[in-house]
Amino acid sequence: MKKKNREGAVGGKAINNVINVLLALGCLTILFPLYMTVIIAFKKPSEMTNDVAGALGFPANWNFDNFIEAMRVTDFWRSLGNSLFLTGVTVIICILLHSLAGYVIGRKMAKHKLFKASYFYIVSGMFVPFAVLMMPLVKQTAQIGMANRLGVIVLYVVFFMPMNVLLYSGYLKNIPIALEEAACVDGATVWQTYWKIIFPNMKPMHATVAVLTAMSTWNDVMTPLVIMSGSDVNTLPLAQLNFQSQFGTNYNLAFASYLLALLPILIFYIICQKQIINGVVNGAVK
Amino acid sequence: MAERKKKIMALFLAVTTVSGLLLGGCGKKENAEGKVVIELVHYKPEAVDVFEALEEKFNETHDDIELVIDSPNDAMVILKTRFIRENNPDIIGIGGDINYSNFLDANMLMDISDFDGLSEIKENYLSTNKDLEYVPKDGVYAVPYMANAAGVLYNHSMFQEHGWEIPTTWEEFLQLCEDIQSEGIQPLYFGYKDTWTCLAPWNAIAVNLCETDIAYQVNSGNATFAEAYKEVAVKDKELLKYGQPNPVAYSYNDACTAFARGQAAMYVIGSYAIPQIKSVNPEMDIDSFVFPASSEAGENILNSGNDLMFSVMEDCEHKEEAYEVLRFLLEDENIQSYLDDQSAVPCKKGDFKIAPELEGMKDYIDKGIVADYQDHHYPSEMSVDAMIQTYLFDNNSNSLETFLSRFDKEWIRYNKDIISKVKKYQEKGE
Amino acid sequence: MGNHTKRDKAWTKNDKIFLGILIPVLALFFFFNTLPLLKGFYYGLTNYRGYGDYDFVGLRNFKDIFTDLRVGKSYLFTFKYAVVMTIAVNLISLILALGLNREIRGKSALRGIYFVPNILGGLVVGYIFSFIFTYILPTVGEITGIGFLQNSMLASTKTAWLAIVIVGAWQGIAMNTIIYISGLQTVPAEVYEAGMIDGVSGWKKFWNLTFPLILPFFTINLVLCMKNALMVFDQIMSLTKGGPSQSTESISYLIYQNGMSGGQFGFQSANAFVFFLVIVIISFLQMKFLGGKEEQL
Repeated sequence: MKKKNREGAVGGKAINNVINVLLALGCLTILFPLYMTVIIAFKKPSEMTNDVAGALGFPANWNFDNFIEAMRVTDFWRSLGNSLFLTGVTVIICILLHSLAGYVIGRKMAKHKLFKASYFYIVSGMFVPFAVLMMPLVKQTAQIGMANRLGVIVLYVVFFMPMNVLLYSGYLKNIPIALEEAACVDGATVWQTYWKIIFPNMKPMHATVAVLTAMSTWNDVMTPLVIMSGSDVNTLPLAQLNFQSQFGTNYNLAFASYLLALLPILIFYIICQKQIINGVVNGAVK
Repeated sequence: MAERKKKIMALFLAVTTVSGLLLGGCGKKENAEGKVVIELVHYKPEAVDVFEALEEKFNETHDDIELVIDSPNDAMVILKTRFIRENNPDIIGIGGDINYSNFLDANMLMDISDFDGLSEIKENYLSTNKDLEYVPKDGVYAVPYMANAAGVLYNHSMFQEHGWEIPTTWEEFLQLCEDIQSEGIQPLYFGYKDTWTCLAPWNAIAVNLCETDIAYQVNSGNATFAEAYKEVAVKDKELLKYGQPNPVAYSYNDACTAFARGQAAMYVIGSYAIPQIKSVNPEMDIDSFVFPASSEAGENILNSGNDLMFSVMEDCEHKEEAYEVLRFLLEDENIQSYLDDQSAVPCKKGDFKIAPELEGMKDYIDKGIVADYQDHHYPSEMSVDAMIQTYLFDNNSNSLETFLSRFDKEWIRYNKDIISKVKKYQEKGE
Repeated sequence: MGNHTKRDKAWTKNDKIFLGILIPVLALFFFFNTLPLLKGFYYGLTNYRGYGDYDFVGLRNFKDIFTDLRVGKSYLFTFKYAVVMTIAVNLISLILALGLNREIRGKSALRGIYFVPNILGGLVVGYIFSFIFTYILPTVGEITGIGFLQNSMLASTKTAWLAIVIVGAWQGIAMNTIIYISGLQTVPAEVYEAGMIDGVSGWKKFWNLTFPLILPFFTINLVLCMKNALMVFDQIMSLTKGGPSQSTESISYLIYQNGMSGGQFGFQSANAFVFFLVIVIISFLQMKFLGGKEEQL
């Protein structure tokens, strides 16, 4: 470890080569479980012998029977549709609503105590874990007829509000107030000013919010589990949970199903890896 | 790059909108023909095929009622979540266990004493339900449908091959295990990764060694579990040495699979496991015997409880239609189709064909030498199954004392409200 | 933000429009965040099962929390997990970041791969690792003769929590590494050059020159990692379901398990409320401590 740090970002070539090899080897810890998932997903139960070869060797032939069967039992397309729907609508509402809220609060914070108090009130919501609110929320959403996808979306919108308001109102510092004042002189309403000037100017933040919100929503299990379980609406992770308790011992089928559940986000990641990583870093660092 | 981002965004939006439109089509289930919809949720996902067939049959023969049967996994979680959401089905199919006691205590269930089908149910199953009431309550709140029996399942052909005899006392049972082991075969298999399976041998032993109303006695302050369960705990732990190494690593499914493949000669579990085992090895010749936990052959009692019973929810608005569903389910032909599929024991009087796997227990069933499972009185949040698991794999010399004293202590804390209820009831009675 | 110097604090028309937007947002937030928190406190005062009839029991549940063995164990487990996770994840990701920040071949590909675990769902990852722990590692253990691997890590109370840490870290490291890398990129090359002239090298250089500069990133990572670890749920659900012997029940899992399906709606509501207070205190302390440290340097 000492060796690694010796040369900082510039670095001697020999040491860099060593590090290169080490890092490449380290990648195996990431790739191995994924490789294993693929291999097992293609095998037949009879190929799962009790040795390392049985678990890790290539399947006898690459056929897609497991996947077809897994798609059928988990109702894959509907779960995928639900996950896309929940994530998509949540992201859109979050961007529209939270940027507006961040703007409203951020602009008036210095002038009025009420806005400043609202800022701290909402941002402090970051300290409330979902598990704390879970049980009352289950009751509350059911009582007002929202034990469904709408309810889950609303909960996400509220749950991500503290983080996103913090991000947007923080980013507002980069947008000079003169822009708005100029628009105001031209007779634009607050509403028009916001949509024409502020909203487009917050674009980098929109990307960050979209990435952060989408990732948390897509992979979330707990909210749909407690709000919608028992209805026939499944999300992709939820389908795996139900599948596990039902067909837990057919590992080949199970792994085909897991792989299917991982694929959409993996593909999405491969396509826009840079945006995702930038978004995440922006969110954390700002 | 900005262009690309835009494209991705657009793609994303398009996908979202399309999926939204697609999904918008399937909204609430509303019966357009003005039929009364009766929703039945039961906790036997393994019986989903039978129930689907019954549902279809019912709907074909009834013009004014539509029956919807749900067979979810983790049904108890889902059912309770639905109760929390105040989204109750009309009929629930649950087991005769602590959940029933709780639902009853919370006044969730309807008094169905006026249901005509009750007269056809065997008396002892109805009275089993009475024992589940925290304090005696007027009325009938569930129709027992199927019972199960728990003891030891064994590999019949393997037993015949080696000439092993069915044991009738605890000592004979241990000897049998030794004999099996000496022939290089593993006597037992455990699926203790799923904590609930720890209760199977526990119940089977306890039913012989403890009184059935021990929970009520403790609640009344007349007994302690430390005394009642001492022998049970010791014997339960003794079984471990006849199982596979490291039993906590394997689940119920693993154990069923191993037993089905002949990796163990016996499996201490209930009749409910038979369909699962047969799904791995349909040809397997399984039989069963009552777990001989007592040293006196005549003292053995079969562990049998209400495995599936139907209750109508208190807020059900269509009582008559719900009764019609119950009547339908109790028709002999429909009971038989359930029996054929699930290896259960019917609670209805009459001559039914019982699964051959239960042959070894049939005598006890016919004569009614049966008693309910001890764990039907344990509050689920106390997690007795996990406590037993902890005890079984606690290698300290004082593990028994730790376990027993913890049992009594935790019992009091988890049953606070019930104990005070029992006290109040007794004071009123005096 | 304060460079518009209107001394006039009166409510202009413009302010009122802003207020008109703010109020519905606040209402929404109150209704789905604050209100349930208050309701949770109220349920905590009852013996409610979540359905049916119930009675008020005063502060009994809140008192019971402090003597309940299972709750106590779940707090211990959760804290142990969070602390070990935070240390392990930050240590490993810092090392990775230092490596990935150098002039090496295939840098962006490597970074891309190391980030993959972060985008995958915790539940499915848990299921995959559950298989590795139960079937692959014991086989490897038998072949290599390494004793402790021969039993499934998930089956023993001594190692099950470690298995959860491993899976948690596998996923958590990705995020922290990326943040550290972006931190290291803010360190100007002059710092190193200056250091070289002074003859500072190796560990000393990192500790005295680099680390102070990336301290804000360290703070973020610590807080983020701790916060996520305290809420661990998916991994428990997919790896152990709280077992063996209730040794891996996290607070979130216990609230879900006993509150939703165990009939302890009231008691677990009280537990949830206490959990909330604990989180607030921890976050407050963390910020105070780390904030103070940052100023010092």
